[in-house]
Amino acid sequence: MRARTLTLVLVAALFGFPLALLLDLSLHPEGTGLARPTRALLMDAAFENYAEALRRMGDFPRLFANTMVITTLSIAGQLFVCSFAGFAFARLSFRGRDALFLAVLTTMLVPDHVASVPRFLLFRSLGLVDTWYPLILPTVLGGAPFFIFLFRQAFASLGDELGEAARMDGASPLRAYWHVFLPLVRPMLGTVAIFTFLATWNDFWAPLLYVMSPEKRTLTLALAGFSRTFSTSVEHLMAASAVVLAPCLIVYFLAQNVFLRAVRVAAKKS
Amino acid sequence: MVEDAALRSWPTLQGLARDFEQRHGVQVKLVDLGGAAGTKDKLKFLLAGDVPLDLARIDVTELAAYLADGALVDLQFYFDADADWRAGEWFTGPLDACRDRAGRLVGLPSTFTPYVMYVNRSLLARDGIELPQPGWTWADMERIARAATRDLDGDGRIDARDQWGISITQWLQALAPWVWQAGADFLDDNGEHATLDSPQFVEVLTFLHRLLHVDRVASNDATFASQMEQGLFQAGRCALYGPVGYWETYRFASLPFDWDVVPLPRHRHEATAVAMSVYVVPRTAREPELAYQFLREVLGGEAYQRRMAEIGNGVPGLVSAARSSAFLDPNRQPASEHVFLDVLRSARFLPPSANWGKLESVVQAELEGVLLSGSLDPAAAARAMDQKADEHLARVHARAARPRLSRAALPLSIALALLAFAAVARTRAPRGGAGLRSEARAARWMLLPWAIGFIAFLLAPMAVSLTLSFTEWSPLRPLSDARFAGLDNWQRLASDPTFATSLRATALYVVCAVPLQLAAAFALALLLRRGGRGTGVARTLCYVPAIVSPVIVAAVWRGLLRESDGPVNRFLGGLGIEGPGWLTDPAWVVPSFVVLSVWTCGAQMLVFLAALQSVDSTLEDAARVDGAGAWARTRYIIVPALAPVILFNLLTGAIAAAQVFAQPYVMTGGGPGDASRFLVLYLYEAGFRHLEFGYASALAWVLALLLAALALALLLFARRYVPHAFGAAGARGGRV
Repeated sequence: MRARTLTLVLVAALFGFPLALLLDLSLHPEGTGLARPTRALLMDAAFENYAEALRRMGDFPRLFANTMVITTLSIAGQLFVCSFAGFAFARLSFRGRDALFLAVLTTMLVPDHVASVPRFLLFRSLGLVDTWYPLILPTVLGGAPFFIFLFRQAFASLGDELGEAARMDGASPLRAYWHVFLPLVRPMLGTVAIFTFLATWNDFWAPLLYVMSPEKRTLTLALAGFSRTFSTSVEHLMAASAVVLAPCLIVYFLAQNVFLRAVRVAAKKS
Repeated sequence: MVEDAALRSWPTLQGLARDFEQRHGVQVKLVDLGGAAGTKDKLKFLLAGDVPLDLARIDVTELAAYLADGALVDLQFYFDADADWRAGEWFTGPLDACRDRAGRLVGLPSTFTPYVMYVNRSLLARDGIELPQPGWTWADMERIARAATRDLDGDGRIDARDQWGISITQWLQALAPWVWQAGADFLDDNGEHATLDSPQFVEVLTFLHRLLHVDRVASNDATFASQMEQGLFQAGRCALYGPVGYWETYRFASLPFDWDVVPLPRHRHEATAVAMSVYVVPRTAREPELAYQFLREVLGGEAYQRRMAEIGNGVPGLVSAARSSAFLDPNRQPASEHVFLDVLRSARFLPPSANWGKLESVVQAELEGVLLSGSLDPAAAARAMDQKADEHLARVHARAARPRLSRAALPLSIALALLAFAAVARTRAPRGGAGLRSEARAARWMLLPWAIGFIAFLLAPMAVSLTLSFTEWSPLRPLSDARFAGLDNWQRLASDPTFATSLRATALYVVCAVPLQLAAAFALALLLRRGGRGTGVARTLCYVPAIVSPVIVAAVWRGLLRESDGPVNRFLGGLGIEGPGWLTDPAWVVPSFVVLSVWTCGAQMLVFLAALQSVDSTLEDAARVDGAGAWARTRYIIVPALAPVILFNLLTGAIAAAQVFAQPYVMTGGGPGDASRFLVLYLYEAGFRHLEFGYASALAWVLALLLAALALALLLFARRYVPHAFGAAGARGGRV
């Protein structure tokens, strides 16, 4: 047991170190960075780094709001589209069901980038370059075969009696979906929401290609620009990183339990 | 117009734009393009994306590429009609560099700067070394560099902690002065063939290679200096620094020692190169005439040009502004600012006959092999560079002879994709019956959004991508001008050494990272499975890295893995091991990314953890009673129970790993050499930096095919171990 505790501490330290370093560096006065011992922080932690980093990133409230809007829309859309499809695959009978579901599973193995060049053409021909549509639409529409799969498994695991009961009451499939089935897969909704949040919040490729105007930028994009600017000091970069990271951590801590439970369900099913 | 707001000329530009608005009754929108991809790439995305744009500033070395694709408005017509236009008010060389091959003006110079040499006078005086004299030569430079190189810490070798003779910059434009001084050149007069294997060119490479890697009096720290590091020259531990332009004077303004600029040393000839940006009007401009007026009145106006000189942006293109006190400010370092004007008589531009950005990327691996790592023989590298450049040029010139792509090709491929989808959707309903009609109708509606997305963003693009892979097309041209290239893109893949390196790096990364990630995740899950004090905290710490944005991961690890003073190497140093240059040594850069991937194995760990909780514990207890050890229990109970989950993690892990992009993009940009130019990064560069949509499509398909093969192999392999291999659908669902 001793050995286990020791391993535990060692592993935690190993995995925690880089983020500890991030936090540590973000609080050193500009230009002192790696050379300055951490204990000096006790005397004078440079909290002003945060204010300065936010100022230099550009219009921070705007960036934050942009990222929030994009993320929220992506989550809402993804929940609807994936649960719809999952429900249809799990509980409805129609021509082409199994073949289409196989298509969904196969797309899980297709690298997204095979479509990146024509997608650019598509958005260009629609006049949507330098808008948020290219950031949201592919995520929302059909972008997540894994979530469709999760929803299908979740809906399929609910007993046949439920469907029978709903049909007896004369409920249409859509009503049954909304009133009977959806409330029962709430943990799955939570999981998909969280995963979509993390994926969209941290997405780099789509903003990099499609967002040009400063007033439309996202946090990750601003951060990447920040880290490439010649005059950025490592302390400010780390402070900005900490700020961009914070919402992800908050969401994780708030939703930790939903998260674990739903992943458990998913693991059982796969 | 677009600009980079980080430029110090931004506020001035804003003010002048407001004036212009009042005078002409129009609105001028200034867009800050400084951002993640750098202004250069972003501008390309804007133009390729058909976003209307009236004015832009581009690098003069990119002019040829834009001109070749017909992406710029010919301004000669406006200049001819302009009564106030006098070409004589401008520096001739820079102005002529703004012309196309027919001599027609397509833009005006912003600021420019000839390449010069920076000198640390304090250091030379202290060590009793002569200062560079007018007309100094390569031999003089070598002597000074030799004398100034000192082993400060006395460990018997010259490294990052010592004093160096010279720090040499190494991008293509900075290489040009040496080449021209030696009497060599990059291309022949028509720009049709490379001349990189001429004896004089080899002489240049040999000379620099000797200073850098044989005599070790020259450092290539300038190539590595990121925002994290102060260059050797700034640290006062380097006597000479160059060839560089005017831009450094601003960064060096507050250095605590006496420094100055001198002309570059001469060899057979006196020569220097010029860096410059040019204001141009893109073809997507909605108001080309107003754009021209803005160009002439504001950007080409005395007030703005003087202001640019005052704030030290470079030498203004207008002669009067350059000769004024705004530029030759006696109160400002360097003392010999006039050097920038003096060297103009021997200054040359890279001719507008080639796409220099592309050419540089074509020969980059060899160039870095000679200068950066020193591992290649200069003569052999020159031959290889010459051959690669020739192949590139031949491809460019072959374009005109290619037939146009049929207009029907793309619609046809989209139609085929739709047909395929329809065929799948019409297959027989499960369990023989068609189900209730109301059910089928509901299902159609519920699947509609997914189907639209699936077709619009995946299926049709894949078909289009396949068609494009047989074409040659730059998105700056209209689609009707796409050329049919047959199998050329695919053949080029087979012979492209950068692709080969990229493929090797990606394969190595996938093969190392995925199993290690999986093993780490599995071990962690076993360790953290049972509760107990501190387990929650440990779980969180292990998981959190997985939710950190790759951009942040890259930023943190770049600090951790720094060669000279990063925590990792300091730790290794404490153990008596000399840490490698993680991100600067071609042999270590892929392993560095593998380490990163293991750090972010949290998602897989979580899946294992969840799956472990559903393993039947009675089975394990029974085994324990029977005397099975921990290893046996893991091997014979847990692993078989988790087999489907392991397979799932393996597949998704491999697919994610094969598409790694953000981390190498931010951390190394693909370097050193091509060592970390992973497939998707190469695809990004080919498609969106060099705008070769055809080649990029072929790359994308290769990636998809390779992954499909890998997935198939894994699934076939897994069939023997996993009872219901993931992906074998057909599971029966319930019914409403």
